[in-house]
Amino acid sequence: MKLLHLYHDIMNLYGDYANVSAMRRILEKSGAQVSVDRISPGENADFADYDFIYIGSGTERNQRVVLEDLRKYADALKSAVDSGTVVLMTGNSFEMLGKTLTDAKGNTVNGLGFFDFTVTEQNKTRVTGDVIYTCDFLTQPLVGFVNKCSEIKGISEPLFRVTMGPGDFDGSREEGVRMRELFGTHLTGPVLIKNPHLLTYLAEKILGKAPADDWLVSERAGYQITLRELKRRNEGA
Amino acid sequence: MKKFFTILICKLLRFAGKLIGKGSSKPGQVALKLCPDILSRVQLPKYIIAVTGSNGKTSTVEMIAHILTKNGKTVAWNREGSNQIEGVTTLVLDSATLGGRVKADILLIESDERFARYTFRYIHPTHYVITNLYRDQLTRNGHPEWVYDALLDSITDGTQLILNADDPLVSSFAQGRKDVVWFGADKLSSDTEELQSVYNDGAYCPICKAPMTYTTHHYNHIGHYACTKCGYKRQNTRYTITSVDLDKGEMTIDGKHTITLALKSLYNIYNILSAYTVASIVGIDGAQIAADMNNYVLKNGRVITFELGSRRGTLLTSKHENSISYDQSIRVASAYKEGCDVLIIVDAVSRKYFTSDVSWLYDIDFEMLNSDNVRQIVLAGTYVNDLVTRFSYTDIPSERIKSFEDIGEAVDHLNSDRSEYIYAITCFSDKGKFLAKVREV
Repeated sequence: MKLLHLYHDIMNLYGDYANVSAMRRILEKSGAQVSVDRISPGENADFADYDFIYIGSGTERNQRVVLEDLRKYADALKSAVDSGTVVLMTGNSFEMLGKTLTDAKGNTVNGLGFFDFTVTEQNKTRVTGDVIYTCDFLTQPLVGFVNKCSEIKGISEPLFRVTMGPGDFDGSREEGVRMRELFGTHLTGPVLIKNPHLLTYLAEKILGKAPADDWLVSERAGYQITLRELKRRNEGA
Repeated sequence: MKKFFTILICKLLRFAGKLIGKGSSKPGQVALKLCPDILSRVQLPKYIIAVTGSNGKTSTVEMIAHILTKNGKTVAWNREGSNQIEGVTTLVLDSATLGGRVKADILLIESDERFARYTFRYIHPTHYVITNLYRDQLTRNGHPEWVYDALLDSITDGTQLILNADDPLVSSFAQGRKDVVWFGADKLSSDTEELQSVYNDGAYCPICKAPMTYTTHHYNHIGHYACTKCGYKRQNTRYTITSVDLDKGEMTIDGKHTITLALKSLYNIYNILSAYTVASIVGIDGAQIAADMNNYVLKNGRVITFELGSRRGTLLTSKHENSISYDQSIRVASAYKEGCDVLIIVDAVSRKYFTSDVSWLYDIDFEMLNSDNVRQIVLAGTYVNDLVTRFSYTDIPSERIKSFEDIGEAVDHLNSDRSEYIYAITCFSDKGKFLAKVREV
């Protein structure tokens, strides 16, 4: 199996790289031979080769640098998505797939246009918070953290429902996007380690069979404690 | 009259607060309510020295105050580290006469990075030290460039910037400014050619975002860098660490002043250098500063030695949500040649606000503990499972790792007849839970 970690050095702001480590581990534990390619801006990748593509979060300035580089892959990425390749984009990386992105000074650039949403950043208040999200394809909720300065409008089919924490925009109870097996969410950091059930869900899609999951012991215990702490906080607040 | 009463009330509240052991931000908060522009109505001393940055603020300010006081200057400074506008207001008004004149030769302010723009709207520093910008408390701070933008708003004309040349983002505050003094380190014997870090915040130029190259790394992305495209590069320094020997515990500044280190860490040498730089600019002789810094032990309680049964150890207070702070502590432990056990506690991520986020664990270079010097690793606290998971992504053999959710059980485990020295690594938010179970010496 081949994994692609796109922009591994410049879009890696919150320990996001560990999502690729976790995916590699579960695939290997399930018997697969796994290789990981790490690509920087200015380099080239053939998207048709990969079983899993990942991009993490970056600073606003770095995301704009990466967006210009990503344009050369727009058609290849779309083909990969259309053919059912599993793609995970966390933090502000999935913002690049929308119609437009407007920075805090009001400068607007076009996104790749996979979706109709628009992104607007501000530079006054950081939107941060621990979150609990739910969705139809997982029985247990997701936990994690959002760290952004943008709001997103115009998502018709959201990925998650918000139980606690920030959504797409102030007051929104929805978060993220999905297209075939592409998942885009503002959750930051090692999302697949904090949520072992999301890891096994994606690994099953990649493998075409249930992955080995008996080794996820401290991951599952850590998830339960985080969920307990967040629920306690959410009910107390 | 309003000024008089505001100062009086602030002083009274401060006096009363001290008696009952309250912190130093409340009096300033009340004063700012009574008279929002009070800080621009007071008469300030000739030197207003501000210090900000992710790490080392409190230690640097303490060292500067120590040197200046030793050399006969009167210094008003926020020794309790209340570093937002309220705490600074308390400091200024409590140091002022009722007429509003600050009775000190030097006003020395430690400032929070994100709130500096509010504080320095009223008080324009004559000298402004920026130590470094790291990934620090990102659940509140966003990221280093976000903090950079907030700090940029706090810099006013007429201020001399005193910048760490070895931090590429900090050094870029000099863009478009003339009055800048740089401090930094020459290539040191402890340097590495390759980056020693899980991530690389020096990979891309802060100005043009082209790739950067390094000729040497002091630690993490701190070193001698140059952009491959726009010409942005590390500046020559006016005040310089010319050599360091961490084994011996010595550093030399400007090739002539050698200082014995009470704490043998790279952090400490940068803090000493920034204090040296400020004191020199104020006019203190270099040899005198070096003498005052010789063997200087910080009083802010961040490094505490302890006994546990027959064992001895050191608590290295490190900041949760700050991977470089942890890397520094881990480096100290892994360099301990006589052999040590290491305890790491993550129980409350922060003491000031709630978060369950442990993403920052993945930015810490725990692999450094995979050293012959480190014998046993003990993990503890509410988030112990997350620590165990994080360590599973290192090559450290799992049989060397013990884990306990309960801090007391972890301490009991360490209270054995093992002879290894103990390094306890944890944050302000969790260190009290540990210290309650050992004897400070």
